[in-house]
Amino acid sequence: MDLAVETLGLTKSYGRFTALYDLSIGVRSGEILVILGPNGSGKTTLLHLVSTVLKPSGGTAKVMGYDIVKEPLKVREVVGISFQEPRGFWRHKPRAILSFHASIYGYEGERRKKVVEEALHDFDLWESRDKRFMELSGGQAKRLEVAKQFIQKPKVAIFDEPTSMVDLAGKRMIWDRIRELREGGSTVVVATNEVREAEYLADRITIMNGGKDVVTDNLRTLKDSVRGADIVDIEFSSPVGGAAVESLRRMEGTARVLQEADNRLRAYVSRSEDWLPLMMAEAAAHSLKVTSVRVTEPSLDDIFLHFTGGSLASGADT
Amino acid sequence: MVPIPRTMSLLTFDLREAFDSVPWVVYYWAYFVFEYFIYGKLISSLVVEPTNYIFYYGTGLLVLILFNTASWAGRSFVEGAHEGRLKYLLSLPIGRNQLFFEQLMLGATVNTVRLIPPLAVIMWLSGTMSPLTFLSTIVVLTLLGIAVIGLMVSLSFVAFRSFDIYSAVVAGLSALLIRFSTIYYPLRFIPQAYSTVAQGNPLTYGTDLLRAVLGFPPSLLLDPYLATAVVMALVVGTLFAGMFTISHAVEGVKSS
Repeated sequence: MDLAVETLGLTKSYGRFTALYDLSIGVRSGEILVILGPNGSGKTTLLHLVSTVLKPSGGTAKVMGYDIVKEPLKVREVVGISFQEPRGFWRHKPRAILSFHASIYGYEGERRKKVVEEALHDFDLWESRDKRFMELSGGQAKRLEVAKQFIQKPKVAIFDEPTSMVDLAGKRMIWDRIRELREGGSTVVVATNEVREAEYLADRITIMNGGKDVVTDNLRTLKDSVRGADIVDIEFSSPVGGAAVESLRRMEGTARVLQEADNRLRAYVSRSEDWLPLMMAEAAAHSLKVTSVRVTEPSLDDIFLHFTGGSLASGADT
Repeated sequence: MVPIPRTMSLLTFDLREAFDSVPWVVYYWAYFVFEYFIYGKLISSLVVEPTNYIFYYGTGLLVLILFNTASWAGRSFVEGAHEGRLKYLLSLPIGRNQLFFEQLMLGATVNTVRLIPPLAVIMWLSGTMSPLTFLSTIVVLTLLGIAVIGLMVSLSFVAFRSFDIYSAVVAGLSALLIRFSTIYYPLRFIPQAYSTVAQGNPLTYGTDLLRAVLGFPPSLLLDPYLATAVVMALVVGTLFAGMFTISHAVEGVKSS
């Protein structure tokens, strides 16, 4: 498998506190990997290590084949990062900030002016282009931070909570742009604690908790790996007898079945798409006619709870 | 079109921010005018020796402004770390040593702009203005500025643990370096204990070297060769210390 980013036992400690423990994950070339975890789970630390802003206490990582410890300058040539908190250029104006960023990545003269103006329009910053950074709203500052990457078009684009502080329309716009970036050939890593963001963007998801990666897979497989996570509400045309309920309980993939009413059942199952045809056959065998079926899949929060035993909302980020 | 080196792009970007605030640029010139033409005149009328103390005082004032502006350059680097600016810079394809030299060039340029008008005034009023003397004085001030910036950046590793401790260390150090030096008084007029401390202070050598270039009587100053050697050693020492700090100790400060 062609990996754009590979961490090898990556560890980061601050004194006695270890923010990241022996992390080994891979990001495939051309995918969007979403790192999902609550505040304090080590997401930001991981992204800062991969972009060489921080130095590891142990282990290493390779970005497009370059070692973050031995070849940090080469890593920085191929990586772009949008930070969680866009700060630090109080007096500068968006146009000047983007123009500087473009100059660092080789844009000169008219070409630079053009890409900067495009980015200002694309990220709805044109009207604010000559306001000082300190006068921008939180959402504008965040869009400016994200816009840098669309000028740079790095081989590996890293976003740390790209839509925090951004309104709903802005979120959707940024997500679409991130997807466009991937279509353009970039590998994308997004850290978030927003379930909707992860669901919208992810090819694969890494769940992190307490400085460790808990699991990495695509959303479908993660959902399917939670036993009994799909909730199936079934309504029959006539009352359901005890024998029929028992046979449904014994079916492969059934976690439990509750009788909600004479003619209504709620089943907790794994892989509902496999379970439903079996259920229909079983119902037919008991001369029952199904009048409606509603399937509710587990949310990412449910998955997170399943794998970590905790909720996504807690703590302070590291 | 020839691509601009990345370090120069960063320097241009930073200079734009440094000079964006006109009040701060003018502040140091106004400060000089008040200090020199009001306080300097007053104190000069009280001092018998050195004669024309106002020029002696004026050169000390230049070093004082230089120390303040060079400290600002070092401090702004540290503040940048806490405000998130350093994280961004460390993520760019610019080497850490290049980043350090960019900070030095930034500080040196800001110093020069702030110091040229006061320096020209002093040289003109004292009748020492000549292109060679002016250039030599700028070189001395630049070297001294680089040494102070290097010192402040070298101390920045303290700030990554606590900005409060860094501020306290820098404030204490600044007070000691300025008071226990020849910025205000020639070495031979000050008490023995004070003089001994002042001779261990690099600012004494920088200030006296500046005065030597400006043609002050040698009897008031340290040996200019010794002063040159100490200033050069200071520049080299703080350059290495600054480079070491940036290469080994500096990281984007952990987000709060």
